[in-house]
Amino acid sequence: MTPRLRVLLVLVTAVALEGTLLDELRIGGVSVELLLLVSVLTGYHGGPERGAITAFFAGLLHDSIVGAPLGLHALVYPPMAVAVSSLELRMLRSTPVTDGLAVLAAVAAGQGLASAVGMLFGVLGSSTDEFVRQAILAGILTAVVSAPVNRVVRWAATGGLPDTIELRRGGS
Amino acid sequence: MAAPRPAERPRPTLLLLAAAALTLLTLHIRGAAPLDAFQQGVRDILEPLRTVTDTATDPIQTAWNGIFGYEELLAQNERLAEELARLRGRSVTDDADRELLERLLDEVGLDYSQLDTVVVRILGTPPGNFGTHRIEVDAGSDDGLTEGLAVVSGAGLVGRLEQVDRARSTVILATHPEFLVGVRLVESQDEGLARGTGRGTLRIEAGIRPGADIAWNEAVVTSGGRSILPADIPVGRVIDPDENAEYERNVVIDLAADLESLSFLNVVLAPSEADPLDVDTGLSWSRRR
Repeated sequence: MTPRLRVLLVLVTAVALEGTLLDELRIGGVSVELLLLVSVLTGYHGGPERGAITAFFAGLLHDSIVGAPLGLHALVYPPMAVAVSSLELRMLRSTPVTDGLAVLAAVAAGQGLASAVGMLFGVLGSSTDEFVRQAILAGILTAVVSAPVNRVVRWAATGGLPDTIELRRGGS
Repeated sequence: MAAPRPAERPRPTLLLLAAAALTLLTLHIRGAAPLDAFQQGVRDILEPLRTVTDTATDPIQTAWNGIFGYEELLAQNERLAEELARLRGRSVTDDADRELLERLLDEVGLDYSQLDTVVVRILGTPPGNFGTHRIEVDAGSDDGLTEGLAVVSGAGLVGRLEQVDRARSTVILATHPEFLVGVRLVESQDEGLARGTGRGTLRIEAGIRPGADIAWNEAVVTSGGRSILPADIPVGRVIDPDENAEYERNVVIDLAADLESLSFLNVVLAPSEADPLDVDTGLSWSRRR
């Protein structure tokens, strides 16, 4: 299976899960932002360009299922994927805890940014406190489910190859 | 950790994607129909899957709500107990109230109870976390619904249909800050444009004369006219007539419908759509489903 097909499969599965099962399981009225998670993880594993393109299509699908104007999340998700990819290159060490916190921050930022763009285009009200609460809660919930999603996205974005190849000099 | 890819050029790609997204967004906000059709298509594809999941996850959802919604449930129970006590207390005055209402309806010529409606069940909030003050109902274009139709409960206006798919629709609630409705004050007969405040009330932002004599608790109904919502649907009662305003009056209305504990709603069919669907007219709340 080609990488593009794998990414497509992951996106379709994520849309189906976000629109069905995850929508049923809400805490405080907030659900997991699976498509945003897939976007940032693709940026993390697949690099900024692949991450941005995947995030764009993830954003379009997200716009469709939540009923937002088409292009709103597609405007927000690619910069998040590129930002995560860029941060990943600058991180000296990563542990599960730092990775989890990074996912939380990225999802909360993405969700908050989407609300801000929605307000800017006049499709959302101006209940800032509610949007902040939603963003933080969505970040926490999404970070909780990120471990299994991470494995799937790594498979899709890297094709099962090791992420890094260490080069060593031959000889003694 | 992912390997750096020197050949990648994220900046031009990002700019290109941002331009594409902005173009789509602008076209959609300006009302490009194919984009709406695309989104509706995606939702319609997912719809059977959502129905199956809704049914299959009902027990899980009940358990989930039991764990994470217990406090809310207790609060709701307390609120309902208070409401019940209040209603029991008021039952004595019911007859007098009914007579008063009938007299009021007679005086102002309201025919609220004679609108043709479709009964819909509330499914919950729409998927995702985008926005608030919206709910999803279980009827769509297959049931003769179209965007913009008024949604009411027995107490009055609840909102209007914002998105209509084949089997589901999204309702924007009257409390949403982007919800606008033309209203008329029943006693003073002043008309204005009311907007949701996001906090269970509406505020009349324009149209009221500075010197208008508006009473506390005055009934407010939809004004109809050029609005897509029919006239004379009860909206609520004035809780702040803003008497001290010097230039523009911002009258605050308490919504008549309780949005917290709804299960079923009525969608008011536009007059032009009532006839082809063969709905009985002149009857109280003609229930078609």
